[in-house]
Amino acid sequence: MAKKRQDIATLVNKLPDPDEHGLLSVIDKEVVENVIDELRRGGPVRQAQGQLRSLRALIDMLAVPGEGEDFNPPDVRRIKARYAIHVWAVKVCQNAEKDRRLFATTLASQLGGDRPKPVQEFLIQQLQVAGHQEVVPALGKLLCDDELCDAAAMALVAIGTGAAEQLRAALPKAKGRCRLIILQNLGVVRDHGAIDALREAAHDQDRENRVAAIWALANIGDSQSVDLLLEAADKSQGWERIKATKACLLLAENLMTAGKKTEAKKIYSHLADTRTGHEQYIREAAESPPPPKGGG
Amino acid sequence: MQKSKRISRRQMLKCSAKAVAAFTIVPRHVLGGAGHTPPSETFGGALIGCGGRGNGTFNDMGLNARKLAICDVKFLDKEDNQTVYTDYRRVLERKDIDVVAIATPPHWHALISIAAMEAGKDVLCEKPMTRFIAEGRAVAEAEKRYKRIFQVGTFGRFDVSRNPQNILTHKIMKSGLLKECKAVHIKRGGLKVKEWSGMVNVKPQPIPTYLDWDMYCGPAPLRPFHPHRFGGSHRGYWDYEGGGLADMGQHHFDPIQWIFAKDDTSPVEVEAYAPPAHPEACGMWGWVELKYADGLTFVMDSTEWPVPGKPSYDRKEPRDVSLSDLSEQDQEKIKQMPDPEPLVNFAEAVKTRKRAGGNADAAHRSATILHLANIAIRVGRKIKYDPVKDQIIGDEEANRLVNQPMRAPWHL
Repeated sequence: MAKKRQDIATLVNKLPDPDEHGLLSVIDKEVVENVIDELRRGGPVRQAQGQLRSLRALIDMLAVPGEGEDFNPPDVRRIKARYAIHVWAVKVCQNAEKDRRLFATTLASQLGGDRPKPVQEFLIQQLQVAGHQEVVPALGKLLCDDELCDAAAMALVAIGTGAAEQLRAALPKAKGRCRLIILQNLGVVRDHGAIDALREAAHDQDRENRVAAIWALANIGDSQSVDLLLEAADKSQGWERIKATKACLLLAENLMTAGKKTEAKKIYSHLADTRTGHEQYIREAAESPPPPKGGG
Repeated sequence: MQKSKRISRRQMLKCSAKAVAAFTIVPRHVLGGAGHTPPSETFGGALIGCGGRGNGTFNDMGLNARKLAICDVKFLDKEDNQTVYTDYRRVLERKDIDVVAIATPPHWHALISIAAMEAGKDVLCEKPMTRFIAEGRAVAEAEKRYKRIFQVGTFGRFDVSRNPQNILTHKIMKSGLLKECKAVHIKRGGLKVKEWSGMVNVKPQPIPTYLDWDMYCGPAPLRPFHPHRFGGSHRGYWDYEGGGLADMGQHHFDPIQWIFAKDDTSPVEVEAYAPPAHPEACGMWGWVELKYADGLTFVMDSTEWPVPGKPSYDRKEPRDVSLSDLSEQDQEKIKQMPDPEPLVNFAEAVKTRKRAGGNADAAHRSATILHLANIAIRVGRKIKYDPVKDQIIGDEEANRLVNQPMRAPWHL
């Protein structure tokens, strides 16, 4: 096994070295592609499950940024293993579904364990490139991890399918920054199943949570939240008022697009009637809104 | 006091006839003229992003704007939240600010532009307008929703739109009479590929005490601090920009987009010749070919890779559009076409409420050229694009670069 890993390291070391400024300015396309193709074939010693073994060997080489000097040559751990995994991630997205799935599930299997969090974060970011629904449960488990919830949420919403269920399930347990991230991304994925929780969060003690929840309800287009959003916009000041008012206009546009004209007009009428002085531009926006998307 | 002043200014600008009528009875210092600036043309301004381009961008507004606030994440040791800020949200809360110049790194351009328009401000935003495609659509939606002025900080289209030959090309393309366009525009060099590449061996360093690094990273992943990710060399990282291609590309292609009348659409096929891209650092590439639905082709040739100083694109030769591409009957129609309306600069747009020449829709389209080119470089395969839906067709993973997730609390 150690011999195998050294073979993989020797292969990875063929990837280009950074120049004196740290740039990959001297880089041969064919060399890089050949190294990655060779890795995907299992490396120099082609064994059963070679692809899986070389991928795991690469993951083992990953170092926390700033570390990795304990390897000879150090650039393999610090730089080249990262580059190799990323190029691999991009390659398997090109007409190689079986390989892509193997790549994604292998990376996902390394999450949640003892690997350093920055290494796990890098793996999550590669799943944002190449992961599909098969890695969604593994990402969902990280949504309450203070150090990984940002990356996990970004990967989940990039993947899309299945993200809403994971975000919704994690919300009751999430605290602090993780809670904010989940509230916002429930809006990004337009999760109708989270509307009750978002309405509750619209009254949160934390300003950022309130703003995120109100925007999420608007982006989902929840017709039952018209009064809640108008009240939030009327009562708040400063930045929160700006964002709550934007949420009102966004909700009105989404309601118009959904054919719910009565609810949309209630928002527009209220803003037109109440916004004066330095908020006159809001009145003007409410009086002549953009046409519904899709002509609906 | 603030309310009445603002309404008065807006109303005055809208009612130039009334102002003219009042000319004879109002003292000169109120109305302006040589050496006098009327209060109605004095604007409260803010500069957000005070790096190398900051003051230049503020001055590019061309307005008589008083700089009431400056804001930068590097002002932690001198912020007073009166005139010096680190958090742009506090600047935008101010009711006495009418216009905002944005000269932050590009990963903040769209979010601050949108927020400024939500707060009722007009915006001049440095190029490139955005970091990824979906941001441009969101800025354009905000521009329309709030009826604010938006102008991107590149002005080449104003010059080219006064040139008779360019106007002729614009009219031919705008007319729709040219069913198959064989024109090829090749931009060789000038895209600072190596100069604005990113380092692949950065080691984390302590965050300077004057810098709000979390706010700097903003919607991008929170990476360990390294000085090369900050202060101009940020251009070399996908988190903040898109290399020299994204940084210089809008200067080069925004005017060309106007000449070829493509302000309302985008290329439909994009192919690049480049080595596999690094996950964080922008790097070397050879050429990118972008085709529009009518056949018009734009090419970027870096002349920096694989052989420094030598062009690498050899598929097509440059070719212009001319009247002779049309039938005699259609040529006559072009001659009868009126010239396009002169483009409105930012200052004039703010005063007249006409749309600026480099408005959000046009800027979104020219930024999309750059973003599509970078996506083709990053995914290493040919991509097909739907300019109506702003989506890449049949390539889910490439599409993830069209609309990239943001780190909370930031979102489009």
